[in-house]
Amino acid sequence: MGPAAASLALATHGLHKRYGSRVALAGLDLSVPEGVVYGFLGPNGAGKTTTMRLLTGLIHPDTGSIELLGRPFGRRDRRRLFDIGALIESPAFYPYLSGRENLRALAATGASTPANKVDELLDLVGLMDRARDRVSTYSLGMKQRLGIAAALLSDPRLLLLDEPANGLDPAGIVAMRDTLRNLAGMGKTVFVSSHILGEVRQLADMVGIIAAGRLVREGSLDDILSGGAIVRIRIKPEEVARAVAILPGMLGAGQVSVQSAESGWLSVEADAGRASEINRSLAEAGIYASELTAESDLESVFLELTGGAPAADGERPTFGAAGVSPKGSP
Amino acid sequence: MRLFIAGLRKLVRRPATLVSLGLLAGLLSLILVAVGATARSRPNGAEALLLVTFPGAYVLILSFILGLGGLISLVYGAAVAGSEWSWGTLKNAVARGESRSGYVLLTFASVALLIGIGLLVAFGIGILMGLVGATLAGVSTNGVTDSASLGALPDKLGRSWFAMVEEAAFGFAVATLARSQLAGVGAGIGLYFGEQFASLFLPDIVKYLPFNAAMAVVVNTNPGGGGGIVQRLDPGTALVAVTAWLVASLVVAAAFTERAEIAG
Repeated sequence: MGPAAASLALATHGLHKRYGSRVALAGLDLSVPEGVVYGFLGPNGAGKTTTMRLLTGLIHPDTGSIELLGRPFGRRDRRRLFDIGALIESPAFYPYLSGRENLRALAATGASTPANKVDELLDLVGLMDRARDRVSTYSLGMKQRLGIAAALLSDPRLLLLDEPANGLDPAGIVAMRDTLRNLAGMGKTVFVSSHILGEVRQLADMVGIIAAGRLVREGSLDDILSGGAIVRIRIKPEEVARAVAILPGMLGAGQVSVQSAESGWLSVEADAGRASEINRSLAEAGIYASELTAESDLESVFLELTGGAPAADGERPTFGAAGVSPKGSP
Repeated sequence: MRLFIAGLRKLVRRPATLVSLGLLAGLLSLILVAVGATARSRPNGAEALLLVTFPGAYVLILSFILGLGGLISLVYGAAVAGSEWSWGTLKNAVARGESRSGYVLLTFASVALLIGIGLLVAFGIGILMGLVGATLAGVSTNGVTDSASLGALPDKLGRSWFAMVEEAAFGFAVATLARSQLAGVGAGIGLYFGEQFASLFLPDIVKYLPFNAAMAVVVNTNPGGGGGIVQRLDPGTALVAVTAWLVASLVVAAAFTERAEIAG
C-alpha cells in the first residue's frame, strides 16, 4: 500500500529545525499512510527525537508544515493531539504517585478518557499487580510499559512511540510488538522511532530512514529490503580464498565479500532463492558450509543510506547496547 | 475542573506538601511553647510574651506564619513548577493536547488552594500552642474570645493567604523560567534573602518588592513590634502591590510556558 493509494495519518513537508547553529532537521518529508506500523529509523543524532517533538507540539518548526490525520497541525491546533498518543524519549511520571494515580492524573489532561480506561490499560501492559506501587519503585521496563499505557489513554488513531523497546525484557518486547500489531490491525497508525533494526524489521510495514535531518529512504519494508538481500556463508578459514575465486563465476564480480577471513565468513549479495545454488556450487568444489543464512538485510541498507560502513573485520558498528546485528549474522 | 481536581490530588499526595506544613506548624509550635516556658525568666521577656498574649497574639501569630510561611510558600511554588519541567510531566500534558497556559494556571490554582488550607491549619495549631504558651507563662487567656479581634480575623486571614499565594507565585514563576525544581527553589530563596539584603541600601524601593509587600498586607509593623529598616507600606497599598506581583508572576509563568520549546 503506497502513500498515494491511502489517506495519510501523518505527513511532513520540508520540515526544518535548528538549535542554535546545529541543524537538527534539514527538510524532512514524511508520508505515513493510515493503518500501518511505520518504523522511523536513524542513527543517534539523526533527528528522530526532534521529529517526535515537532509532531507533538513540544517544539515548533523553523519552516515546513505538518499534517496530522489529514489536517494541518500548527501552533494553535493543539486539539489535533486529542487523537494522538505519544511516548517521547524516556517515560515521565510523578515518582511519588502510583502507576494508577499517574495515569489518572494524565487522563485529566487533553481529551476526556473513560473512567475504566486506566485499569484496562494497566491490565494490557501487565502492570495491574503493581498499579498501587509508587512509580519510583518501578524498573525502567515497567516505566516504559506505563508510558505505552499512557500513550494509549485517549484511544488514539495515531500512536507516536520514541524507542518504545528501551528497557523492556525479551518477553516485554514480544508483548509490545503484539500489542502494536493488534493496534495496527484495528486500523490505528503506529509510528515507531528506533535504532534497533531487528525490532523494526519484525514490527514495521513501512520504513523511513533518516540521516542528518533528511529522509534518505521511505517505502514498504519489502521494497527497501529488495535492494539488500544477503546470503552469509561460513566455511573453513583456509578455504575462503578458493571460495572467493569460485563464486564470482556464477554470481558476477563484486558480489562476494569476505567478512572475516579468520572465522571464515563470506557475504554474498544475492536473493535468498539462490542460497541452495551457492551451497551446491561450493560443495561441488569440495567446500562445505558449516553455516548458511539467507536474509534481506535491513542493516546493510541502513548503513549504506546513513553513511555507516561495515568494519574491515566484518563486525558492524553499533548504535547502542542492543546493537544492530541482524538475526543469524556473525 | 478535572484538571484542577487532578492537580489537587497530585499535590495532596506529594511529600513536600506535608513536609512544608509540618515545618511551619512545628517551628511555630516550638517558638510559642518556648516563649511561654522561658519568657518570664529572660531580661526582655515582657516583649516576647506578647506572642502568647491574646487577643494581640492573633495578629502576631499570623505575622509569624506570613513570614516563615511566605518563604515556605515560595519554595513550595518553585518546587511544584520546577518539577513539572524536571520530571517531564508538563511534556506529557502538552503532548496530549492540553493548553499550556491553562495547565500552568490550574496547577497554580491547586497550589493556592492548598496554601489556604495550610494557612488555616497552621493558624489553628498556632492558636492552640499560643494558649499552651500562655498557660506555661501564667498569662491570662481571657483575650482569646475578644470579639473585635475574632471579627477581624477573616479579613486578616484572607489577606495573609493572598500574600502567601503571591510569594508562591513568585517562586512558581522563577522555577518556570529556570525549568528546574532545584534551580527554581535556589533562585527563589536567593531572591528572598536578596530582597532583605537590598533593604539596607534601597529601603524606599524594597518596600514595594514581593516579600516586603506581602509582609505588610496584615500589619505594617514588624512581628513583635520591633522597628525595621524598611518603612512598610500601609496594608491597603501593600495589597495592591501584592496583587500586581501575583498577576505579573502568573503572566510570566504562563507566557513563558506557552512559548517555550519543551525538550528533555
